[in-house]
Amino acid sequence: MMKGNFDFYNWWKKFNRKNTYVLALVVFIITTAIYFILQPAIMEEGVLSRITTSNFRTWLPIILLSVGQTVVMLGGGLDLSSGAILSLGNVILAISIRNTDEAGFNLLIVLAVIMMGLVAGALNGFFVAFLDLQPIIATFATSFLYSGLALLILPQPGGKIPRPYTDFYRTTKFLGIPLAIYIIIAVLLIWVFFRNRKYGRFLFAVGGDEKAAYTTGVPVKGIITSTYILSGLLASLGAISYTLLTGSGSARSGEDMTLTALTAAVIGGTSFSGGSGSLFGTVLGAVILGTIQNILSLARLDSWYRTLVNAVIIVIALAGPGFIKLFAREK
Amino acid sequence: MDTISLHAKHIVKHFGAVVALSDGTLRVDSGEVVALVGANGSGKSTLSKIITGVLSRDEGEIIYNGDSVQFTNPTAAQKAGITAVYQELSLVPILTVAENIWLAHEPVNNMGRIDDQEAQARTGELLKLFEGTFQDTLHPDAPVETLPPDEKQIVEILKAISRDPDILILDEATASLDGRQVDCLFRLIEEWKTQNMGLVFVSHRMDEIFKIADRAVVLRNGDTVGNVDIEETTEPEIVSLMVGHERGLGRIQRKESIQPESERIALNVEGLQTDVLHNVSFSVNEGELVGISGLRGQGQDELLHTLFGNRHFTGKIELFGETITPDHPRTVINKDMALIPGDRATQGVLMTRPILENLHLPNWRKYNFPLNIGKAIRDAKRITDKLNVVMKSLEAPVNSLSGGNAQKVVIGKWLLRDPNILLLDDPTKGVDVGTKAEFYNLLEELCAEGTTVLFYSSDDQELIDLAFRVFVMHDGTITEELSGDDVNKANLVSASMGAGVNNGAQK
Repeated sequence: MMKGNFDFYNWWKKFNRKNTYVLALVVFIITTAIYFILQPAIMEEGVLSRITTSNFRTWLPIILLSVGQTVVMLGGGLDLSSGAILSLGNVILAISIRNTDEAGFNLLIVLAVIMMGLVAGALNGFFVAFLDLQPIIATFATSFLYSGLALLILPQPGGKIPRPYTDFYRTTKFLGIPLAIYIIIAVLLIWVFFRNRKYGRFLFAVGGDEKAAYTTGVPVKGIITSTYILSGLLASLGAISYTLLTGSGSARSGEDMTLTALTAAVIGGTSFSGGSGSLFGTVLGAVILGTIQNILSLARLDSWYRTLVNAVIIVIALAGPGFIKLFAREK
Repeated sequence: MDTISLHAKHIVKHFGAVVALSDGTLRVDSGEVVALVGANGSGKSTLSKIITGVLSRDEGEIIYNGDSVQFTNPTAAQKAGITAVYQELSLVPILTVAENIWLAHEPVNNMGRIDDQEAQARTGELLKLFEGTFQDTLHPDAPVETLPPDEKQIVEILKAISRDPDILILDEATASLDGRQVDCLFRLIEEWKTQNMGLVFVSHRMDEIFKIADRAVVLRNGDTVGNVDIEETTEPEIVSLMVGHERGLGRIQRKESIQPESERIALNVEGLQTDVLHNVSFSVNEGELVGISGLRGQGQDELLHTLFGNRHFTGKIELFGETITPDHPRTVINKDMALIPGDRATQGVLMTRPILENLHLPNWRKYNFPLNIGKAIRDAKRITDKLNVVMKSLEAPVNSLSGGNAQKVVIGKWLLRDPNILLLDDPTKGVDVGTKAEFYNLLEELCAEGTTVLFYSSDDQELIDLAFRVFVMHDGTITEELSGDDVNKANLVSASMGAGVNNGAQK
């Protein structure tokens, strides 16, 4: 018994190391299959297209947050403030965007939100890379800063985004493929571009062993700061997409999203200890989570069950790698 | 490569109040190998780290090719052509061999993309340098974390070479290599010398030094005390430079009295084997104080921890004739064995908890349920008085105590159990002189009362003063057993380096 299991385990470990998203891909196929099966009308004309559009435009904010979280995790860190940055961006947009004939002004607001994301990320990066604070603590603290600001700006949910903008986001399609998917593809392409360049290599090195990377001449502080800035940037983009999706603002909009984004990254194969993972896996992870949510609502489960299932998924996803390690050690 | 020269002059380095280097001087030119030698704490590691930019210097000058230089970080030194191979590796475990070797200077194609194929090819060529000395676990695509220690060291060496250094510093780089690999490395070094590389070879191994080095620079207590041609010197001469004159601190006169009265064998070990130890066998009589010596990291603390039940092992351990299988410290604690560990802060005490709690940590069971706190406090007071612990009160946390007093708490904790066998892992490290003297008296008392003591110390003088018998460990096994007058500084240093010792019986 021992020999057979042993070989498989080692082979799996090796394979998984190079292609960390494989497990997520398998789970993705399974959950999507279940989802389709539960949708009796899916094969009818136009239904698949409608559902895909509706799903992906809803999932885009989380996907963007998850991607940001993955970059930070690859570098060995953690960003607990990305949801709060999204909330902040959301409320700024909700109260500032004017109607469509002031497009120039609206563009400025959007740029300002992006700027906010970059600055928030830089602040996070400063605390972690230069003040040497633990990422969990630093970003937990800054999350209160950003959500506090959001509450200050918009104490009660409100604001209104002009119809044309939200319609544009929600319905635009090129070649039958919704806008949201193009954005996701663009993000993945940018990642593929950088993964094989020095930046990507440095990122994995820093996440793998910060001290070894430093001794070898990798600009560790710069790399770490850049990951938080990227996370902040993606959170602000998430804010924009979320605002266009919902058409209004709420200071608590991003509250639950941080943990979901983290779970998506972990499901996608990104390791907490850094240096291992892929954005492709993360996107799959986010889609898996979204699909499961849909499956639950199709099964007409009580919302209590939904929360339970979510929690169970999070526990399994986070504890899973630990369990695997435990079994490995027993061998 | 043109001829180069590196000259570090009179380097001084303090760490707080401790003077690590008071006069570090080293010169190396193209085409030569200079060995940097010195005992534990002599400053040689500090000197090599200052040269490579890992540490900053307080005083002194470094002249490199005629210019005065200051390296603020390792990268600066590397850019200037000075690269080091350390014993603590600088490899990222999750990356592959090729990725590690070329990290931060990857071959890049004209679109800015990392050229993995080029990296693989060049890595393959580098690996050829060590051809025949490694298994097929070592290939450019292998993640470093899957490699055994010797292959990791090879990767580390290749990583340094890939940067085409003018000066290469090998700091204990042969520690993880086997004989064949070392020979291969030395052949490469000879070749690099002809290419005008200058090499600094920091090592504890006499045979290697005499094999490969042209010159030797000897450090002792932070001073450069020797700069000799290898051809014109001998092993004993280098050892005597390293050891110098005896420096006593008014310590206890060597007594012959810490010799066992009893003939009973308290501890007998045969064929002990762990991941680190191999074939360790010895026996200790009741009431004896036996010392363990050798350079740090040669298995001394591993031995103590194995005896204490903290390691998986094969072999036989007998306590007073009874074979025991320590699989958990609990087992041996119940047999009245105690271990004073080497790292006080993480293994010896609970820093933030009160002294009282720390003292009784293994003992609460003796105080019944509900706890007889009154008795516990009385016992604690008794031991802190006996050990002369300077403290505010028993309620004060241990981190309010000085190093010496905190160590007394560790000792007190175990003394309260009246152990038969006491294992000590470098117990006077970081302890002030006064406390050390009290401690030595305590040990003598304990031995007189019949406690058996096995005592590792990195301080040779301490062992000379206290132990009649000393085991010197090297590479996970006992390589030398010294007793009586053979326990002296010169022999201890020699034995720790694998060189011969002067004693009656021929080795």
